[in-house]
Amino acid sequence: MLCQICKKKEVAITLTKIVEEQKTEIHLCKDCAAAFSDKFSIFPLPQFDINDLLADLLNAIDLYHKEEGIVLDKEIECSNCHLTYNDFRKSGKLGCSVCYQDFRDQLTPLLRRLHGNSEHLGKIPQQSKGKFNKIRKIKQLKKELQELILKEEYEQAANTRDEILKLEGVLKKKNEK
Amino acid sequence: MKNKSIILKNLKESSAEWTSGQGPLSDIVISSRIRLARNVEGIPFSPRAEQAELKNVFELSRQIVEEDSLFRDSNLLLLDELSPLESQFLVDKHLISIYHAREKHPYRGCVFNQRETLSIMVNEEDHFRIQYLLPGLQLNNIWKLINKIDDKIEKKTTYAFSEKEGYLTSCPTNVGTGMRASVMLHLPALAMINGINDILKAISKIGYVVRGFYGEGTEVMGNLFQVSNQITLGLSEEEIIDNLEKVNQQIISKEQKVRKDLLANSKSQLEDQVWRAYGILSSARIISSTEAMELLSKLKFGVELEIITYPDLGTLNKLMLLIQPAYLQMLAGKDLDPFNRDLQRAALIRNKISG
Ligand SMILES: [Zn+2]
Ligand SMILES: [Zn+2]
Repeated sequence: MLCQICKKKEVAITLTKIVEEQKTEIHLCKDCAAAFSDKFSIFPLPQFDINDLLADLLNAIDLYHKEEGIVLDKEIECSNCHLTYNDFRKSGKLGCSVCYQDFRDQLTPLLRRLHGNSEHLGKIPQQSKGKFNKIRKIKQLKKELQELILKEEYEQAANTRDEILKLEGVLKKKNEK
Repeated sequence: MKNKSIILKNLKESSAEWTSGQGPLSDIVISSRIRLARNVEGIPFSPRAEQAELKNVFELSRQIVEEDSLFRDSNLLLLDELSPLESQFLVDKHLISIYHAREKHPYRGCVFNQRETLSIMVNEEDHFRIQYLLPGLQLNNIWKLINKIDDKIEKKTTYAFSEKEGYLTSCPTNVGTGMRASVMLHLPALAMINGINDILKAISKIGYVVRGFYGEGTEVMGNLFQVSNQITLGLSEEEIIDNLEKVNQQIISKEQKVRKDLLANSKSQLEDQVWRAYGILSSARIISSTEAMELLSKLKFGVELEIITYPDLGTLNKLMLLIQPAYLQMLAGKDLDPFNRDLQRAALIRNKISG
């Protein structure tokens, strides 16, 4: 198999990425793999600038789209501030909070690259604390539920399921208000 | 609210608490800092906002400063009203970023308190960049303080926040907690044995960034390094701080070890270097900022190792700010060409360290 970047040399390494629970593989030759890991892990001083890193990442994402044959058939645009995804690719800056929703499919793998993670686990604003804490709790309970089912602890699982339903009910009522 | 010239006059004469040379591990750690990026829901991020929207954000910051007792002794400056020199002076003071000083959109602001521990950049790339600085290694204390300030500001507005990505920011490198924590280290011993690059390589691999004295994209001078977290999403604030503190502890213990070795094996050479630095600084008539930073670092090293007992660390930390080009010109009360800056700088240093 030939390297996905240079398309000339034999594949020496396969990188596996997990994006939204979907495994994807990138096959690289030795040289391209070295260039790739250099770019993402070693920053020379004193010129290092996080925006360069971002630009590198944006390029890598582009390349990834190309190699995987993912074509952005039409220009995606933020429904609120009208920033296009291409504008973002050039500047590395988003335009408004709605951009995060409208570009989510593209941003999620990027965030994972940048932070090793794409889900917030930190502070929650006071105003929405109740709601978001419940959402977080539900997520955690759902994980526990799966584990319990795997372990065949059905009685425990039923309790957990009831708890989830109860919390979801509370949230729903709040949303209707 | 006080007018601009009074605010700047006071600022010229006052010095920031983080330069005091006190706090935990102050022989290596100059200061700790936490910055939170926050945006107002419903308004595009500052570079993409309309003039009226930028004005709304600025007025909101004015309202917060005027109405909340937490900001009783704080000032608010509108950068549009400042000259390029005055804006650069705020950069030299570490109150705003270089980007904030040079950006073109209107209604950029800077809030800061008397101790210069708290500052808020208004309409930088995010609507609010709240930062808190203290001397020495004390990230946990800073987090407690800045967390409260963040809550106070939130009482007056609604933050742009999503359940998945957390606090939403103009650049995806800040999203999530919106938190950048950093520690400013003085590492002369590691620099002396060329040990810095290895450490930098190692820590950058695990998600930390090192920058120069004035932050992003700036040069390293005076052996001062700022180590900060790169990851802002997927970890809690406490975890980010805890990890960063551990990384810094490791660098600090390496520096301590090399210092010990140097003292044991080359004490005379060290003493020679320190006293030579003192000699030049206390008698030079013309000095560039690069040379001054280098020699001040040597002298500071001497004080940290107790080779020399004066001037104190606070004086030296403060000097490192005072000798910056814009600060010097503010003190002189006029624009100075490079040659006259070098004259002025030498005089200022002589006055401060031999006094
Ligand atoms: Zn290749
Ligand atoms: Zn948008």
